[in-house]
Amino acid sequence: MATTNTQASPILLECHNVTKSYSGVVVLKDVDFSLKRAEIHALVGENGAGKSTLIKVITGVTPRDSGTIVFDGHDLPIEHTKSAALDLGIGVIYQELSLINGLTVAQNIFLTREPLLPGLGLINYKKMNADAQALIDKYHFPLKATSPIETLSIAQRQLVEILKALSGNAKLIIMDEPTSTLTSSETTLLFDIIRQLKASGVTVVYISHRMEEVYALSDRVTVLRDGKLVTVLEKEQISPAEIIRLMIGRKLTADETKRVMVRKGGEPVLEVKDLTSVGRFYGISFALAKGEILGLAGLVGSGRTEVVRAIFGIDPYDKGDVYLNGKPYQPSVSRGIASGFGMVPEDRRQQGILATIPMTRNIGITNLDTISKFSWVSERKEMALCHLGIDLLKIKPKNPDINVGNLSGGNQQKVVVGKWLVRNLKVLIIDEPTAGIDIGAKDELYETIQRLAREGISVICVSSDLPELVRLTDRIIVLREGRMVKEFAEGHVTEVDVLKASSGILEGGNQ
Amino acid sequence: MTTKVFLARFRLLFIVLAVGAVLALIYPRFLTVSNLTNVLWSVCVIAIMCTGAIYTPITGGIDLSVGSVAAIASIVVNHLMNVMGVPMVPSLLITLVIGTAIGLLNGVVVAKFRVHGFIVTMAAKTYLFGLAMLISNGAMIGIYEPKAFLFIGTGRWLGIPVPVYIMLVITVLSHLLLKNTVFGRQVIAVGANDVTAKLSGVDPDRTRMAAYTISAFTATLAGIVLASLTQQAYAVAAQGYELNVITALVVGGTSLLGGSGSVFGALLGAILVGFIDNGLNLMNVPSAYHPIVTGLVILGALILNTGGQMPKWLRLPVLRRARTQS
Repeated sequence: MATTNTQASPILLECHNVTKSYSGVVVLKDVDFSLKRAEIHALVGENGAGKSTLIKVITGVTPRDSGTIVFDGHDLPIEHTKSAALDLGIGVIYQELSLINGLTVAQNIFLTREPLLPGLGLINYKKMNADAQALIDKYHFPLKATSPIETLSIAQRQLVEILKALSGNAKLIIMDEPTSTLTSSETTLLFDIIRQLKASGVTVVYISHRMEEVYALSDRVTVLRDGKLVTVLEKEQISPAEIIRLMIGRKLTADETKRVMVRKGGEPVLEVKDLTSVGRFYGISFALAKGEILGLAGLVGSGRTEVVRAIFGIDPYDKGDVYLNGKPYQPSVSRGIASGFGMVPEDRRQQGILATIPMTRNIGITNLDTISKFSWVSERKEMALCHLGIDLLKIKPKNPDINVGNLSGGNQQKVVVGKWLVRNLKVLIIDEPTAGIDIGAKDELYETIQRLAREGISVICVSSDLPELVRLTDRIIVLREGRMVKEFAEGHVTEVDVLKASSGILEGGNQ
Repeated sequence: MTTKVFLARFRLLFIVLAVGAVLALIYPRFLTVSNLTNVLWSVCVIAIMCTGAIYTPITGGIDLSVGSVAAIASIVVNHLMNVMGVPMVPSLLITLVIGTAIGLLNGVVVAKFRVHGFIVTMAAKTYLFGLAMLISNGAMIGIYEPKAFLFIGTGRWLGIPVPVYIMLVITVLSHLLLKNTVFGRQVIAVGANDVTAKLSGVDPDRTRMAAYTISAFTATLAGIVLASLTQQAYAVAAQGYELNVITALVVGGTSLLGGSGSVFGALLGAILVGFIDNGLNLMNVPSAYHPIVTGLVILGALILNTGGQMPKWLRLPVLRRARTQS
């Protein structure tokens, strides 16, 4: 359709009425999104607002259901690959970088597009390295074309990804939370580079939860909420507080996002004093009461997962003390499990389930102490525990012999929770309890966690999902750059308060 | 249990029986007691190795040193008894301790230095072979004494060869170890996903070390049986056995990717390979063709057992994999 010659048009990308749903759940609804040439455009919204889906639809990684996307005068097909998108001039840099270890910077930049020597089809390394170095020098990046990727820092690897996009003559570079793993000086460098890209005519889409970055960098901001476009802010309208208000907006009136926190009394079950792991977190101190649900909030990279991993004994820490029931406690996974700790890790597939083996054994693996005698496992007891887990969490299908990899995401998560619930548990640590599971399963898990707390189990809940934290927890500690910056223990709390503290807009605080 | 699940579960048993039936039809001599006894005799060394070697692929590793461990065991046990004059029972025990220690060493390197078992055990295979050559001067040493020792490999009880009893007993023990003990649960968990296993309180390092240790223990036992059976201590005696072991394991349904394995499957796998070998012998096929057929059997078993797609015309119910998903 769009046959107009837009070479002169100031608009680079125009999405119109883009809609996308996954198995009946609408994640993008009639979204309009437009980008000008040579602008820095921030895309903001809560988790689940549809930012990532919009990016995937634009790059064609995920096919859209309806709507049109015109890029640089061309209608974009419904579905294509990342390298096809790059050929069109769209480069995407995800949080998980897609560079190949063992290859050099130049090899990664020109992967699948290597300059060849005439005749035999061998790679012309001399030209490849020279081209790569020329590209590096053009943007003054602190890189060498011949360095192996694995010798580079995360920040440098991002630069290689940017070069990879630029070498394909990208007109648009999309960055998904690029600063979440960077130090502040690296972030400053990245900002300079983004401005430089803009100066050379490239449009940058910048996804971030850090409002001060959005404020410092963007020409325009598009705000998404619940899969719909809320508004597009022009440069002079941008302010961190305004963006947060728009991101959360209507929810301020809903009960579930405004809670009165009441401090739970009694003897602390778990106490953490001045816990420090250099480079990860510093001076973390809190006490967890019996039956309390403590929320740990913070942006990706704030150190919240690292804190709970240290308490569960997975990673060592440098300084600080942990007390369990008032007695000094040296964290280790096996000691922790024996003393009543349980941990549901953030990455279900990689860390939570044993995908290729049956549910019975998944539930049995954390309970070998109770289902065995003299090292002999009672299959009858193992089966009984599995049925207990199925009943407690309403796992479907009720088939103990099914391989857990064949269950739905929500039911997989229930198995991971279930393998701890059938134990005599005192402290449950749960990292991103509902990531990637549907609404119905979410509600069931919330009910389960709250029931556990009523029964006297203490829970530490790490989550990026703010409504979840506010709804579920009794108290919220906010981490930023590895330090505790705010605690919401009593009085009214809203998502906005937590988000402001997480992204560093404290404004004196009004609690 | 539906017919389909039943067929899938005992698929390998049916295949073994079918191959046996075909051989019996073509060569009536196949089904004689003496021939079948010979087959069992020839597979027992591999089958004994399999009972322990199965644990390394289940953890996601591999043990290529079983042949060399067996060779060194045969040389050490002979050296102890016939050169140093140690009595038989202590000699056997010392040999088992030495062989098992080699496995522990392999396991420590795999677990603590994070080197893949393939490399570690390939290195062990090489230096152990050198060591075996050194101790034995590269000679084929005949073992004629003590008679009690020779009974281990060549004796019969109730008409059945003694090594067959050893094979059956250790197979049952290993089956129980894998299926019914805490260690068995842990081995499978580590192979299925070692991060999950670790976060569930399993120590993946210790589990891996134990797997390599057990593997070397059964290889040593197999080496002792082999020495007694062939009445020889010879450095090259068990060369290449690791490949037969892997064949039997893979044919028997053990995944080289980790997380699953069946001890009885491995026994059936070893018997199937034995049947094929025996059949080729009966057919007077020149020995050069045996490895060709064995290689093709490994390929076929891999395609069947590790997720390969069978062409439609080959999808007989008996060949179908069990599907737990309904």
